[in-house]
Amino acid sequence: MKTIAISGKGGTGKSTLSALIIRWLKENETQPILAVDADSNVNLNDLLGVKITETIGAIREEMKKSAHHLPAGTTKQAFLEYKIHASLVETPAFDLIAMGRPEGPGCYCYANNMLRDILNTLSSNYQYVVIDNEAGMEHLSRRTTQNIDYLLIISDPSVRGIHAAGKISRLISELDTRVGKKLLILNRVKQDLPAALNEIIEKEGLNLFSSIPEDDTLLEMDQSGKPIWHISDKSPAYQAIHRLMTKLIGE
Amino acid sequence: MSKIIATRAIRGAHKLVVRAEKELSRAIDEKGPETRVEFPNTGYFLPISHGILGLNIETLGGLEGLLEEAKKLLPPVPDEKLWVPYLGHTLDAGMATLFADEIIESIRYTENPLPYLPEPNPDEEHLWIGAANDVIMRERGIEFVDGTAPGFAACVGYCPTNEIAVKIARELQEKNLYVFMSASTDGKSMAQQLREEGIQMGWETRLVPFGDDVTATVHSLGFATRVALSFGGAQPGDFQRVLRYNKNRVFAFVLALGPVDDEKHAQAAGAINYGFPTIADTDIDQILPTGICTYEHVVSPVPHDKIVSKAIEVRGLKITITKVPIPVPYGPAFQGERIRKEDMYVELAGQEQPGFEFLTTREMDEVEDGKIELVGPEIEEVDEGGQIPLGIWVEVAGREMQTDFEPILERYIHDFINCANGVFHMGQRDINWVRISKEAKQKGFRFEHFGTILHAKLHGEFGKIVDKVQIRIYTREKEVLGLIGIAREVYKQRDARLADMTDEAVETFYSCTLCQSFAPNHVCIITPERSGLCGAYNWLDGKAAFQINPTGPNQPVKKGRVIDKEKGQWQDINDFVYNNSHKTLEIFNAYSIIEYPMTSCGCFECISGVLPSTNGIMIVYRDYTGMTPSGMKFSTLAGSVGGGMQTPGFIGHSKHYIGSKKFISAEGGVKRIVWMNKALKEELAPILDEIGKREGIEDFIDRIADETIAITEEDVWEYITRKNHPALSMPPLF
Repeated sequence: MKTIAISGKGGTGKSTLSALIIRWLKENETQPILAVDADSNVNLNDLLGVKITETIGAIREEMKKSAHHLPAGTTKQAFLEYKIHASLVETPAFDLIAMGRPEGPGCYCYANNMLRDILNTLSSNYQYVVIDNEAGMEHLSRRTTQNIDYLLIISDPSVRGIHAAGKISRLISELDTRVGKKLLILNRVKQDLPAALNEIIEKEGLNLFSSIPEDDTLLEMDQSGKPIWHISDKSPAYQAIHRLMTKLIGE
Repeated sequence: MSKIIATRAIRGAHKLVVRAEKELSRAIDEKGPETRVEFPNTGYFLPISHGILGLNIETLGGLEGLLEEAKKLLPPVPDEKLWVPYLGHTLDAGMATLFADEIIESIRYTENPLPYLPEPNPDEEHLWIGAANDVIMRERGIEFVDGTAPGFAACVGYCPTNEIAVKIARELQEKNLYVFMSASTDGKSMAQQLREEGIQMGWETRLVPFGDDVTATVHSLGFATRVALSFGGAQPGDFQRVLRYNKNRVFAFVLALGPVDDEKHAQAAGAINYGFPTIADTDIDQILPTGICTYEHVVSPVPHDKIVSKAIEVRGLKITITKVPIPVPYGPAFQGERIRKEDMYVELAGQEQPGFEFLTTREMDEVEDGKIELVGPEIEEVDEGGQIPLGIWVEVAGREMQTDFEPILERYIHDFINCANGVFHMGQRDINWVRISKEAKQKGFRFEHFGTILHAKLHGEFGKIVDKVQIRIYTREKEVLGLIGIAREVYKQRDARLADMTDEAVETFYSCTLCQSFAPNHVCIITPERSGLCGAYNWLDGKAAFQINPTGPNQPVKKGRVIDKEKGQWQDINDFVYNNSHKTLEIFNAYSIIEYPMTSCGCFECISGVLPSTNGIMIVYRDYTGMTPSGMKFSTLAGSVGGGMQTPGFIGHSKHYIGSKKFISAEGGVKRIVWMNKALKEELAPILDEIGKREGIEDFIDRIADETIAITEEDVWEYITRKNHPALSMPPLF
């Protein structure tokens, strides 16, 4: 099993790239794939063209609220496990799980501890796990997600964007989560990068792995409400993902 | 015990000893005292006298010493008018019988031609093969020790028909038991019946015809004695060890078939010395109380179709199934396997169809071990991708089974079924969900295999408490919906029982050190009446978590010696908390807020604090951000109460704990509550109302202040004084 986590500041196109990566894995690699939407705004499912019925966050709240009156004496572990498995969206190519809202006030040690166990066991069933993280890396910091083989940090080609990417990179280093490779991906690149930007990338200690060009196909699909999942494999963005993933998996 | 059966056994022993004496003196007269006596090729002399008495008898003359021992043991035949306890006498008579048997059988070996065929298997002319040699004993005896064969059935007499004889023999063979046959009655014996039916006999097939005399029964017990000497490390003459080894390790019993005369009663008494009970098909007197044998000593009359299972039950024999006989691989490695919709052949229960699983206890004779029934369609009658209902109904019986074990065993249905490769199981009780993969179906996995798995694993993992298991699998909606109601009724009763569970009723609490990552010195002790302070964890959860992860943060902690019953202090709990709080907490009271109260990690739902001038306490829930009468807000309070520090006068706890009878019971309990934040008070109104009624306090809720009434200690005091709050008349807190 290989875990690919995608993170970055809000609005950099994390979810779109996650969807494209899942699509690429479906076309080129051994399946099945587990897609994890760890963004509290939950939209990866729209990009993949599927419907979400329940999020892990909602299940966790339900469990906590009804801590003393679960269905007839069922243990919480069994309840949580059941609900999580039931919340999975299943398609021939991939299964999708949505983490939903992060926790409210109160103690989540117990719930998250169980959650981590269940998610780790679940993900061991898949060849690839793709996690679309939210900007704050909440689930990583709460350690509800497991170790990561590739962390792709997405940024737009701007100075502020690169600084933010650097911050995420340093934050990850402080966490207990084991990360194999941290790679910077620049999204919506229109032209060659100015030298100044390259310097900043270096200063932030980042490793520019790949660039994805601005692609009007994506914009058009978004505007007409078509899921990115159905993108043409000729489109520039998908072609760029193809190069990125070939390089990543090939390494 | 019955005088009749004792009388018969003792009378039988007398007859056999008299017979042995006659035969011995005749043999000595005819052949001389120096004539050698021995069983073929054995280093154990005559095994009973060697093992029990330490005698090394090699000549006819030497048998006289054994005869003396037998006579010494012979008790008087019970007087018609005098009643005494008979078990000791019966046992002595039994042992004397075995000595007499051995004398008679060893004389037989001096005869020419030899009445027995000294080979492992009978031939066409000779049915009876007599005592086993040491080669056979070592080869076969080891099976009793390593568990390949759990033991033997010494079958005495004959069956009403040949057909029944064959059936009983087959049934014993299926359980891997050896069948030792001896003693004809009226010229008929089980071994002859088997021969008439063309059944192959001998050590190879585990059907061993010893001899047609009743005294040949001694070869069974001689064999058992040699096993104890050879594998059990017992020294010759150490009779206690020989007998105890057999009772504990060799699962043997006597099947008395057909009429039972005095001599056969005497043999049964001999077997009881080894802990081997007798099961009879005719109506003889029973010896039911336990004592020497694990359970009953003599049971009768038992019908032929039940006699083997009854014997297994009475002997306390545990049938173990090491390999789960299903067509797909089985093991814990497959436990976390999810069957994806793509790979799935059929889905049972789950979100679309009703389902339940249920385990219940039945009487011994109501359960037929290994019986698996499927009610409804089997897998091949279901289309690919189908979704159908599922009911799993397990009935167990066991001498040691208790209804309290039902939910525990029931919860294991999940683990057991999940271990099958290609089978996915989730949930428990009436939220269960199963998927079977296309691959598993192709390999031949069928619904009835749920039963096969549960039968094998319940025996394997819970053999101590489960003797018999039968399973019904329902895959039709009508039956599933019908039974789900019955199951739910029982689930409810179980929950009610759990809710009523008290700290006194259990020996073990559970620890929780989950939060030590940020409160390194904090240890939660979760008791049935005090759930974890975060509100998430109750005693049952701790127990379940420990079963799932035995090295995890929830460990069982024995209470140990009670130090203070009222305050809730136990020696072993103190020791555990001391060692696991990095030696910062030495004493811990579970039910006190004043003296050595339980510490908190910081995850508590509520904080209780003493308001000294009111002689009562306040409780604030963590969502309440306003001021409290203690002069501190929740966040400030949390800082001083959390972090694993013992702060007398303050505790962090769950909401649930407020409703417990053990809520600060050392200080008088709920009656001490003088202030709560309004939201909490309203939420707990039904509980408080109930407690008020229990304590005989009218309008208890109305006497408790909240932030709309008072936010200073002084105002609280004024309010409760006006309301005549019960705390005011309680003993001072300090």
